[in-house]
Amino acid sequence: MTESLITARAFFERARAGQLTAVRCGSCGELAIPPKELCPACHARAWQPVPLVGEGTIASFTVIRVAPRAHAADAPYAIAVVKLQEGVSILGRIVDIPLDKVAVGLPVRFRPLGAQDQTSIGFGPLG
Amino acid sequence: MRRVAVIGVGVTKFGLHDRTSAELFADAAGDALTDAGIPASAVQALYYGNVVGGETEHQLHTGPQAASVLGIPSVPTTRFETACASSHAAFRHAVMEIGAGVSDVILVGGAERVLNVSTAESTEYFAYASDAVWEQPLGLTFPGVFALIARAHMEKYGTTEAQMAAVAVKNHRHGALNPKAQFQKQITIDQVLRSAYVADPLKLLDCCPFSDGGAAVVLASEEVARRHRKPVWVLASAAASDWMLLGDKRDLARVPATERAAAAAYRQAGLGPTDVDVVELHDCFTIAEIVASEGLGLFEPGAGGRAAETGLTSLGGEMPVNPSGGLKAKGHPIGATGAAQIAEIVTQLRGEAGPRQVDGARTGLTHTLGGNTATVLVSLFGRD
Ligand SMILES: [Zn+2]
Repeated sequence: MTESLITARAFFERARAGQLTAVRCGSCGELAIPPKELCPACHARAWQPVPLVGEGTIASFTVIRVAPRAHAADAPYAIAVVKLQEGVSILGRIVDIPLDKVAVGLPVRFRPLGAQDQTSIGFGPLG
Repeated sequence: MRRVAVIGVGVTKFGLHDRTSAELFADAAGDALTDAGIPASAVQALYYGNVVGGETEHQLHTGPQAASVLGIPSVPTTRFETACASSHAAFRHAVMEIGAGVSDVILVGGAERVLNVSTAESTEYFAYASDAVWEQPLGLTFPGVFALIARAHMEKYGTTEAQMAAVAVKNHRHGALNPKAQFQKQITIDQVLRSAYVADPLKLLDCCPFSDGGAAVVLASEEVARRHRKPVWVLASAAASDWMLLGDKRDLARVPATERAAAAAYRQAGLGPTDVDVVELHDCFTIAEIVASEGLGLFEPGAGGRAAETGLTSLGGEMPVNPSGGLKAKGHPIGATGAAQIAEIVTQLRGEAGPRQVDGARTGLTHTLGGNTATVLVSLFGRD
């Protein structure tokens, strides 16, 4: 059991401290982010936490110009699916990269974003 | 399983209405019952699709609400919510209930009202179909989901913005032939390409509109359907799901739930994509039509954009897609969409689609996708 890790709350606590964390299946080795209760590959319930390097490349992106009400002040902003070095992917907000420089294949690094007292996943330039 | 047929259809005009979603559904259901030529007393259940009633109308419990407004309060009623695929999911369960011999006549439908709230509000409510912990806090929108899919498709297959625009132009051309469509006006490639970006690379005219509307179909067992003038047989109805999170989807350029639901539907019917004469598929965005046409096996992966551009999917083309105008031009009242697509295919297979008729159509397919591609329904239909 990895009770402290299986929750989104635990994930975001680590993320707030700058650490992007995945879980690895103790039975078959599958890596997952965010955590799930059962391993999607073998359905075992034997996760171990795995700290990730937090680096990856943009697999796909968009620039949101018509935003939901809560994000209207941020628009336009970029959101990307980032393929992490370890092979898993996660959605995040792109920050500190000019919108016209955001591209598929661009290397990015994880950074926690704080908005509305809530940590969310961001990615900024690698350098 | 017993054979099941659609014996009645009804659809309101889509667009702005000064009526509640329950009233819109009831209007469509009244037409469907008249079309079926059976009394409301014959209806044994209502399966109903509605998505954002709680947000836009402060109305939950929308199943019995709709049944009460229609005037059949005592039948068992269930509301289905699978985002934009809700009334198609309702349809599949009704097919199984009749197929299993539990009921003989079931009313299926759905309705949505969103034009009574602002675009900013409806944009927020539609985003609720994405994950509230991992995706909504990032400011992801419904167009944003398909923009990520579009970018991946462009990267992997070389699909162009002009090819996506061709889908919009084609569906508006079809919609101009449909008196129930929200937009009955043709547009040009240039107009699409010059429209403002909503979520790059998707522009305003790549997106379906927000719509109010209702749709209903009457389903019946073979015994009841045989007494009807033109039953349209349900040859298959299949569902599939996929990961909610975009990061969990292995290949954003494909929709595995479409591929799985299509494979199951073709297997149930003993048919393949080349047997299909007419298709109503889920074009909430132009890229969605391209990816769906590939996932349904109508074209090879990566060939959907070119198919639209070269006219293969136009009325009169080799594989007519969305003769109704699709979600793009006909409109997309999300709870009603699945039932409205089924109504169009039934109309086509009866040969009653007028200027948008696909000549000699004998086998039809409907495909409805829920929100972030995590739900897909595919059904197949045939006539005697
Ligand atoms: Zn495992």
